[in-house]
Amino acid sequence: MGKRYRNASYPHQNECDIVRRSRYLFWGFLPAGILIVLFFITPAIWGVYSSMTNMALVGKAARHLQFIGFQNYLKLITDSAFFTAIMNSVKYVVGGAIIGQFLLGLGLALLLEYTEKKGIKGGNVVYGFVMLAWLTPALVSGFEWGAMYDYYYGTLNNILKLLGLSKINWLGKTPMLAVIIANIWQGTAFSMMVFDSALKTIPVELYEAAKMDGASHWQSIRYITLPLIKNIAIIDLINITMVTFGVFLMIMAITNGGPGMKTTTLSLYAYRAAFENYRIGYGCSIAMVLLAINLIFGFTYLKVLKKIS
Amino acid sequence: MQRKAQLILVYFIFIAILIYFSLPSLWLFLSVFNAHAAPFIEIPKKPTLINFVKVFKDYNFSTYLFNSVFVSTITMILVTLTASLAGYSLSRWQSKYKNHIIYSILLLRTIPTSATMIPIYSLMRTLHLRNSYLGLILIYTAGQLPFLIWLIEQFFDTIPPEMEEAAWIDGSSYLRTLFSIVMPIAKPGIAVIAILSFRAAWSESVLVLVLIDSEHLQTIPRAFYEAIRTMGGSYIEYRYEIVATMGLFFLLPLMIIFLITHKYFVKGMLGGAIK
Repeated sequence: MGKRYRNASYPHQNECDIVRRSRYLFWGFLPAGILIVLFFITPAIWGVYSSMTNMALVGKAARHLQFIGFQNYLKLITDSAFFTAIMNSVKYVVGGAIIGQFLLGLGLALLLEYTEKKGIKGGNVVYGFVMLAWLTPALVSGFEWGAMYDYYYGTLNNILKLLGLSKINWLGKTPMLAVIIANIWQGTAFSMMVFDSALKTIPVELYEAAKMDGASHWQSIRYITLPLIKNIAIIDLINITMVTFGVFLMIMAITNGGPGMKTTTLSLYAYRAAFENYRIGYGCSIAMVLLAINLIFGFTYLKVLKKIS
Repeated sequence: MQRKAQLILVYFIFIAILIYFSLPSLWLFLSVFNAHAAPFIEIPKKPTLINFVKVFKDYNFSTYLFNSVFVSTITMILVTLTASLAGYSLSRWQSKYKNHIIYSILLLRTIPTSATMIPIYSLMRTLHLRNSYLGLILIYTAGQLPFLIWLIEQFFDTIPPEMEEAAWIDGSSYLRTLFSIVMPIAKPGIAVIAILSFRAAWSESVLVLVLIDSEHLQTIPRAFYEAIRTMGGSYIEYRYEIVATMGLFFLLPLMIIFLITHKYFVKGMLGGAIK
């Protein structure tokens, strides 16, 4: 971005100018500030209030809104489905993001960099299709994978049949694996892009020097590339963890959290509690847990970001 | 010989990755041109455009398309105006609290919709702003502001402040200077946030589920959700080709927008960790 003027002051100014200009800059910030406070921060605070009520859309509670203090939270601790949902979220994040997207994204970036250097063609087609998966909206991706996994007519089982193997009941027997595969499919492009641009910042001279010293390709990856992209890898990991923890639309489209609770992650559980069982107050208390966990991720993220930049 | 073995290995990996990543997308694209699509991938024997006619004639798609374009456009205008003003102000503000504000804005950006959707539902219900364009647009605008203010603030940081000061000394008012000197230079940055805000509003699919029930207010993601829910079921034949066509309309603008702006995606998403 060239030269930066952050915190640069105007060369010709006195105290009076600064005060007057601050006032005018304040007006510039105001419209956006009001919108953010009213429709972004207020809902978060409103959520704390709602989570302490019995707000519901059906039944007796729908007519008599009551303040019930921490009862929703107490109910939450004794709710076994809540803990199942947390465990599912952990599986989904570890399998989908931390193992799947991260490793596949890193591997793809290294492979594409390598083939580009060696003049092997076809890398941009791979890049294009990986990106296309990332661009596909979650609901559409869920629809596509739902069809892929169809037991009788789905593409996957048809391929298995062609290979002479027996069909797999993807969504009935291995639903968590199924949604994780779909999640890796959709999310990998992000890590790939991140590592792709990180690799481009490494000076070619380093590799040339290593080659002259007799280092093999694997050695230069291990001792030059990986240490240099460590910081970016940490940022990427926190990022994809946050994103994967928060999303639920694709799971909703493929399995709707089923069978039973098997693929209901925490964010999907919040949605189902509020809009399928119509318990808004209870759903809000789950949302507040989600918010708290995300704030922890968020603060960690900022801390790492500050340290690096 | 070694080179040949290497080539074979690379292409083996390429093909495996391509099968994984391209099959679902190819299935969608092929199903659109098939009069009766099945869940397995097949090249249509008689390619047809009938599905494009059908979604408009039988499934009321023009309403959804209009709503999506309308909501996304108004959101884009609101976001672009407020975010560029706020970004400029933040960039020029001289204060020791400035970095705190920028980090708070970045922190807001890390909050996922799933953590705020239920409180938003509850709040908008109380304010009687559910099932209205206004409610949806305000929520969309506010949701995008933190990220885009941050992005455009960095852009204004690259414009030297001396230029405005010279204009002030010549007697130009603050507002005039802003619109005749600063904004024209910032045009590329403003174009980027306009496109990104349109894209975000177009693809947002969680809050619209929560805030819109009325059929005539549904946007494409809302209608698509309804379609995957209702066009299947044990006794109804699933209309894969219709849902796929709706999905294509949903996806296509995102592909075009990505081709225009893909440079800014990584930079924006990483919060400046990569220059």
